[in-house]
Order: sequence, then structure tokens, then C-alpha cells
Amino acid sequence: MLDNFFNPKSIAVIGASRTPGKVGYDILKNIIQYGYEGAVFPINPSATEVLGKKSFSSLLDVPDKIDLAVVVVPSKNVIEVIGQCGAKKIDSAIIITAGFKESGIEGAKLENELIKKSQECGVRFIGPNCLGMIDTHSKVNASFAAGMPAKGGIGFFSQSGALCLAVLDRALPDEIGFSKFISMGNKSDITDTDVMLALSEDENTKVILGYIEGVTDGRKFMEVAAQVSKKKPIIILKSGITSAGAKAASSHTGALAGREAAFDSAFKQSGVIRAHTINELFNYALAFANQPLPKGPYVAIVTNSGGPGILAADACDKSNLQLTPLHKEYVDELRTFLPPVASFYNPIDILGDSGADRYERALNTVLKDERINGVMVLLTPTAVVDVDATAMAVVNVSKSIDRPILTSFMGKQRVESGTKTLMKYGVPNYSYPEEMVSSMNAMYNYYLWINRPEKTYNNINGLKEKAAEIFDEVKKESRDRLYELEVHDILQAYGFSQPKSLFARTPEEAVAAAKGIGYPVVMKIMSPQIVHKSDMGGVKINLISKKEVENAFFDITTRVRNIMPAAHISGVMIQEMVPKGKEVIMGITKDPHFGHMIMFGLGGIYVEVLKDISFRIVPLSQEDAHEMLRETKTFPLLRGVRGEAEADIEAIEKSLLILSQMAVDFPQIIEADINPLLVRQRGEGVVAIDARFTIGGD
Amino acid sequence: MISLYVGSTSGYTGKTLITMGLGHKLKKDGLRVGYMKPVGILPLKVDDILTDHDAWRIYRALELKDPVPDICPVVLTQELAVISYLKDVKGLLGKIVNSFNRLSKDKDIMLIGGYGSVYTGSYLGVQGLQVIKRLNSKAVIVVKYEGEYIVDYVLQAKKDLKDKFLGVILNKVTEDHRQSADEYAVPFLKRKGVDIIGVIPQDPVVGSITVEELTEMLGGKVLCCHDKLGNLVEHFLIGAMQADRAIEYFKKTRRNAVIVGGDRVDIQLSAIESGSVCLILTGELYPSEIILSRAEQKEVPMMVVREDTFSIAKKLEKLSVRLRLRDKSKVERGMNLVADNVDFSMIYKKLGIKTGS
Repeated sequence: MLDNFFNPKSIAVIGASRTPGKVGYDILKNIIQYGYEGAVFPINPSATEVLGKKSFSSLLDVPDKIDLAVVVVPSKNVIEVIGQCGAKKIDSAIIITAGFKESGIEGAKLENELIKKSQECGVRFIGPNCLGMIDTHSKVNASFAAGMPAKGGIGFFSQSGALCLAVLDRALPDEIGFSKFISMGNKSDITDTDVMLALSEDENTKVILGYIEGVTDGRKFMEVAAQVSKKKPIIILKSGITSAGAKAASSHTGALAGREAAFDSAFKQSGVIRAHTINELFNYALAFANQPLPKGPYVAIVTNSGGPGILAADACDKSNLQLTPLHKEYVDELRTFLPPVASFYNPIDILGDSGADRYERALNTVLKDERINGVMVLLTPTAVVDVDATAMAVVNVSKSIDRPILTSFMGKQRVESGTKTLMKYGVPNYSYPEEMVSSMNAMYNYYLWINRPEKTYNNINGLKEKAAEIFDEVKKESRDRLYELEVHDILQAYGFSQPKSLFARTPEEAVAAAKGIGYPVVMKIMSPQIVHKSDMGGVKINLISKKEVENAFFDITTRVRNIMPAAHISGVMIQEMVPKGKEVIMGITKDPHFGHMIMFGLGGIYVEVLKDISFRIVPLSQEDAHEMLRETKTFPLLRGVRGEAEADIEAIEKSLLILSQMAVDFPQIIEADINPLLVRQRGEGVVAIDARFTIGGD
Repeated sequence: MISLYVGSTSGYTGKTLITMGLGHKLKKDGLRVGYMKPVGILPLKVDDILTDHDAWRIYRALELKDPVPDICPVVLTQELAVISYLKDVKGLLGKIVNSFNRLSKDKDIMLIGGYGSVYTGSYLGVQGLQVIKRLNSKAVIVVKYEGEYIVDYVLQAKKDLKDKFLGVILNKVTEDHRQSADEYAVPFLKRKGVDIIGVIPQDPVVGSITVEELTEMLGGKVLCCHDKLGNLVEHFLIGAMQADRAIEYFKKTRRNAVIVGGDRVDIQLSAIESGSVCLILTGELYPSEIILSRAEQKEVPMMVVREDTFSIAKKLEKLSVRLRLRDKSKVERGMNLVADNVDFSMIYKKLGIKTGS
């Protein structure tokens, strides 16, 4: 895929310039100076020769076949050039030129025309408004970046050209190796997913790195990422996260789901490793590009000092990694050559007077324990330690095993040459222990991802019909919110238990209803204008007698009449008092890019304060439902604390899957939540106490 | 015994306050004053006796001693409302007459407080016009002055009330409308033989609302300064502009409450610092601790509401027409307004009341 971009036999630079400092000059110079072996054709109407290459006044004048066009002409001429590409049967172009949608309305119009033109002519293009592209293996540097990164296994794509430059500059001194460098620009034709697919097929790329600000098609992104991430790790830094969009939402679920939640879920569900800072992006990339994955959570730390060892141990504690003591046999072996005051358990402290050979022996001994899946080496530059020799020792050990070794040689000046050695031989070094641990953890999580069984999707069909009638009716009446009785029927159609309830218009009817249901009962106001009943004082619970029901009827209706005279009161709902249980919330929300998401959270009425919630994009697999519950901090409450009985966790998971099915069945749902969903003891199921639905669109 | 009905041609014109003011003055002039509200729409239970909020308030203000059930014989509860639409309810007018007869026995004058307009209540068989006729009352019509066009309603009421029509009080006349009232409406009505009993200006204090009432109506949660819920709010501002512009508005608007998104920290701080009396944070977005502690320090109550700024502003727009007389300082102010702007000598003359003075 995209072969003509990465491995072109000939390149034309349209808008090549003779003036140093101009982009059209720099690009041509980069193509020539970094050893590109194919043919290069500068296109410039007013020159016969540019940078020693014969120049043509138009693409159409070039007699030879051209694989890749690099376009640097002013924006108003770009469409014409694309037309010429079509005529010349060039199917790949990089459009460097800016002045499109990033520059305003006129630019946006131009970009739309460009897209149309390129589709007519069969030209695929990267950009516009980008920095260009580099392939270190085919030695194509079709960019105006300063410098050429070393050959290596990292394939990097970025929506921001500036970030490309920063990453490149950061990579140069450490000779961090890249396979490809792609500045995506406005992504108006070739998108992230195209590039991810291409990089997944590229032999030279071991790890895919990306910086994105947004995606155009969320579903496609997930689909492609899930497919690619099974093959190669994808590490993405995503910026532009806000929760401002939550303000206008009318349901809990809507208010709690920001854009952040959508991206986070999308990454989790498609196996994308998320970096939160540029530093993390680099750290992870180095580990993935150079070391094998740990095949389990058990890691060992070898250190020459106590403090950093503890910091690393603390970081492990917060991760999925586990520090496990070595087998007795190897502990005994350590005792034979380490000073008696050393620490033989994990972290293994070989003391500040260690030299390179003590490091090497310790590492070899540790690695004899087959249960250890990865090793992390810490070094503080004590007066006696020979940093370079130690680095070489670690490299030697690393070469001999197929388990990951990461290092943190701390400090700057005294460790500098040692860390260079480590990096040179593919042992990533980190300035601080926490970074090292988080990189190892990312690798372990990725190992889990590629080895997890295929997701299982439950087949929950046949519930749709009854609900469809209701949704149709709501649409026919041009409403966006469903009446309570409709919500009740929909939940019933999907098999949710709900409290017994009867509608009453007068106190007399209310008393009769209460008698029919059996005391104690709950009374709730019913009015199409009132969404959040308890805010308006429209709910009374635990009514135990005729008198209490009558009083409650008076109180509730009077209160609502007083504070909302315009509201129509249809009557009250008398409901059975459901026995105690734990309150959870679950809901459906719709993200503009990723579509429906399912939310889960604990806390009942406090959910908006606690914000202890998790999200997944629909459709949910069984595994997703399982993880969603366990992701919340308050999950142990469901397990039961201080001798409480365990809640019916299985029933919650099943409810999430049903909700997911509902979202699949009815794309028109914009927001829905069941709050609270009462969870009873294990085996006793869940009861939907209250719920609301909003629909819209088609 | 004289009976005076205070009615209107639309709801929410300020009848309650004017009735209260009239009662006060009549009492002060040595008359034995009675009061009843034939139909109440704000149900209230006092010692398990069903009555009406406004009626109860006037009963207390005038220090009356009559039996409470007679003060408001018909209370429009949800139950009565539903039943009256489902089947014809009979005997309500008779009930009103009976209460009136009991109350009026030892009185010089009975004040009758209308509900809604003189046209409402037909479905219960207790329309204002009917009540006036049965109780043989004279009627003063209170009109909320919103422009010259209200003269039409006054003329219609005069026609419908015939000899029962006493005159008109133009209420809530804003500064903007004062000129139109003086130059057009009043001379016109006089020419048509309508007596102008009073012209009462719009008053910011009477038109204000306490933070506590606001919380109740908006379903808000109070976050701080629980002891400042009695703060009176006269104006509402929407904090959606730049902070520096906002400060100007906050400073020049008396007793303002600011409606602002829960995440607009800049506006919130500006409002607290420039003397707003209440902050309404929308979107169920809770403020940071810094804001809360500053508000507590400056004694500015804050509440969080679920809806967004637009919906809350829409609600408050409706709210201003149905403010209730709850606060003591508001009531006193209202009494003074009535005393200063109603031509009592005209009322007395027309009703044939002679006082000592």
C-alpha cells in the first residue's frame, strides 16, 4: 500500500526553486542530499536547471514515467497540477502547499475542489499543508525538515508538522531510528487509517507512532486500529481534549461523557496504546522498537542504590507488573557473590560499590529464573561504578536473551556515554525509574492485548419489535423525549425488571393503587415537563398508609403546581418500594465520531460528583462489559465490603450488553440512562428504578 | 355592609398586594374589615385545614379572627382540578355564598380577592363575574400596565360588570411606560367614564425574589452561604460575555443574580467580587473549592442547577410574572406603595364610606 509514496522510482518536485530558504529549494535539496537513488525532476517554468538537475517547465514536459509528485506551488495552482498528475498517470502526490481549510473559508472551498479533482484524476495525496514525508530505507526525504533520522523500526505519522520537526530534532542526537516519517497535514485524502494500514504492511516498521488531534471516521479508525494492533503496536498521542461539550446535555450519561471518554474507549477497545505526553510517546516507542515483549507480569529490578529501587517498586505497584521474589536456588546463588548486606529479594540491591562484573553476574543469575519475564536495571553514578563498562555488560546480557531489559541510568553528565552505548545496542535507557516502569508496563499490556482471545459478542436478538413501535410513535409526534410509560414498555421489551407500578390521577385512585401494589409504596409526579422529579420535590418514598398516600398526593401536586404552574400534571405513579440494594447507573450516549457509547458508574444520585464511571463504544463484547465494571474505583463495593453480600455483578454485565444491543437496534437514541439501577444480591438480579430516553435524527 | 371585589382582566396583576394595602388602610380608618378569597389556587394546609397561600397571608396581615375554612372556601387542588374536568362539580358557588354570609355578619366592609381574571372559573361554576353578582359586590379592576392597549380590556370589563364596576387601578407601571399612561391611557379612560383609582409604579423590591424561592423554583442545590438565602434578587444577568465586560454589568445592576455556566470560573469570580447577590451555576457543573471559599467569604450564595444557561433564563422569564408576596420587607414596601398611589378618598366617596377624619 502507498508504495509509490514510500518507494518511488522517480520523483517530480513541482515548484522546485533555485532560491535557498524557499520550501521548493529545501525539498529538492533534501531529496538529493540524503542519497535517493531514483530519478528526480524539478518542475519550474523559469529555470533550465535546479540544484544540478535538469528542470522542466511543466510536468507534462517530462518524458519519463513519474511515481511521486511533490507539490510546492502556490495554493491557487495546486488543482491544476493535480490535473496534470492525472494526465501523466501519476497516482501519488504529496501536497506541501498551505492555504487550504486551515486558512479560512476560501481555503476550505479550495480544498473541497482539490478533493473532487483528485478523485476525478485518480490521484491519492498526503496533505495539503504538511511538512512532507521521509522514508529512511528507500532514502526518500521529500520534506523540508532539517535533517534525516537514522534508519530504524519506528514509523511515525503526525497531524502536526511542528511536532514532526520537534520529534525529529529530538531523535537526531540519540540516533533514534525511524522507518518512516509522515506529516499528515489536513488529511483531506490520505488519513490516519490509510497510513496505519500501510505501516502495518511495511517490513521496516516495527512500531507505529502517531500524533492525532481528531479523527474523521471514528468507526473506521477503530476497525483499522484493532486489525493493525494485533500485528504491530500502535502508540498514539491524542490532543485537544475538553469536556466543554458536556454542558448542554440533559441526562447524566450525556453530562459525564466528554470527547475524552470516546477516544479513551476507542483506544482501549482497539488495542491502541495511549501516550499522554510527547515524552511518553518516545519512551514507549523506544521500548517497543528495541526490546521483545515481556510474556508475563513478573519483573525483577536490579539496582545499585536503595531509593531509586523503591521508586521503581512503587511504580510497579501502581502498574500491572509484579515484583516477584526469585526462586530460592537463585537467591542462594546471589548470596555466593554479593556482599552479605545486599538485598537479595526483589528489588535486588547489589550496593553502591558494584562494578560492571557484579551487575553482569547478578543479571545472569536473575535471568536464570525462568519465571522472570523482564528485567529493569537501575544505576546511580557512584564514585566506584564504571558506567561505560556496566552499559556494555547490560548490552551483552540483553543480546543473549529474548526477554526485555530496560534501564534507567540516572543523572546526566556521568552517565551520558554509557546511555549512548545502551541506546546504540538497542537497550532503551530512561532518565527516571518511573518512565522505565511505565514503558515496561505498556509492553506487558500490549502482550495481553495480542494474546487475548477473540472477543465474544452475545447474540441478543428479537427484542426490537415492540420497542420499534414506540420509537416510531415518538418520532411521528416529533418529540425528542419519551414519556415514562413508553420508557417502561421499552425496558420491559428488553427484559429489564421494573418495580410494579400503577398510574393514578386522584388521591382516591392513588390509595386504590397503593392497596393493589401493597404498602409500603413510592409516589412520583408524572408530568411531561418534569424530567428530574426529585429536583422538584416530586418523589415521596416509603408511604405506609392511606393517610400518608393522601398527604403525599397533596404535597407533591401542590408543590409542583406552585413552582411550575405551566407544567401539566398527568397524575402520579404509585410504585412498589423495592427492597434494598446497591445503586448503579448505566446509559447510552452518542459521540459524533464514534457513535453510541455505553456508560457504567456507581453512586446513584452522587454519580455526577464522584464521576467514577467507565465507557465503551458499542457494540460491547462480554469482555468489555466485564472490564467496564472493574475499571471503576468503587467496584469493590459491588463485591461487598465488611461482610456485605456480593451484588449481582453478572446481572449488571448482562444489562450492559442488553443496553448495547438496544443502541445497535435503535440508532436514533441520542441519550438514555437508567438511574438508578438497583442491584440486588448475587442471583437476585437488577431492577430499573428510573430511566429516561432522548431520541433525535433518523 | 359594603362588599368590594378586587379583580382583574388577566392573571398576575398584583391583586393580592393591592387587597392587602386596601385592607390595611380601611382598618386604619377605623372600619371593621373582613376578607375572603372565594377560589384559591395555591393550596396550603394550616393545621390540616385546607386553604390558600395568598388568602392565609392576607388573613394574617390583617390580623383577622374569623374561622379559617371560610377564608377560602374553594381551593383548587390537583384533585379538584382533575375531578372538575371529569364531571360537573356542583355547589361551589353556594359554598362561597355561605362563607361570605358568615364572615360579613359583623363587618363594615368585606374585601373579596379574585383569582385569575374576572372571567376565569367558569368550569367550576364560580366565574368572577358570577361571584360579584351573587355577593352584590362593587369591583375594582387591577390592570398590569403594559401599554396603551390595555384600555380595551378595561372597557370590556366595565361593560361586563355594568353597575358593579367601580374603577381601575393601573399597576406595575414601569418608568418606560409612565408617559404613555399619563398622556394617553388615563385621559382616554377618564373620557370614557372610567374612574382611575390609582396608578402604581413598578417597584424593584416588590418585584424581587429571595434566593431561597429561586432555589425551589429552579430545583437547585445550594452550595454555600445557607444563611444568606433571604437575599433579595431584583435582576438577572447572564454571564456569557468576556469577564471584563461582565464586570461592568455586574456593578451597575442592583441586586443581581448571575446565571453562568459552572465552568466559567472567570465570570464567577467577577460576579462574586462585584457584589452580585447570588450565582446560579448551570449545567450541573460544580465550581472549584477556590470559588466556593471566595463566595463563602463574600457571603454570596451559590446554587447549582441541572439545566443549561438558556433553559434557566427561559424559566426565569416566566417567573417574573408570578412572584408571590412572601418576604416581610417586600410586604411593607408594597403597603406603602398602595397607600401612596391609590386615591382612597375616591374609593370612599364611591362606596359611600364616611370616616371620622
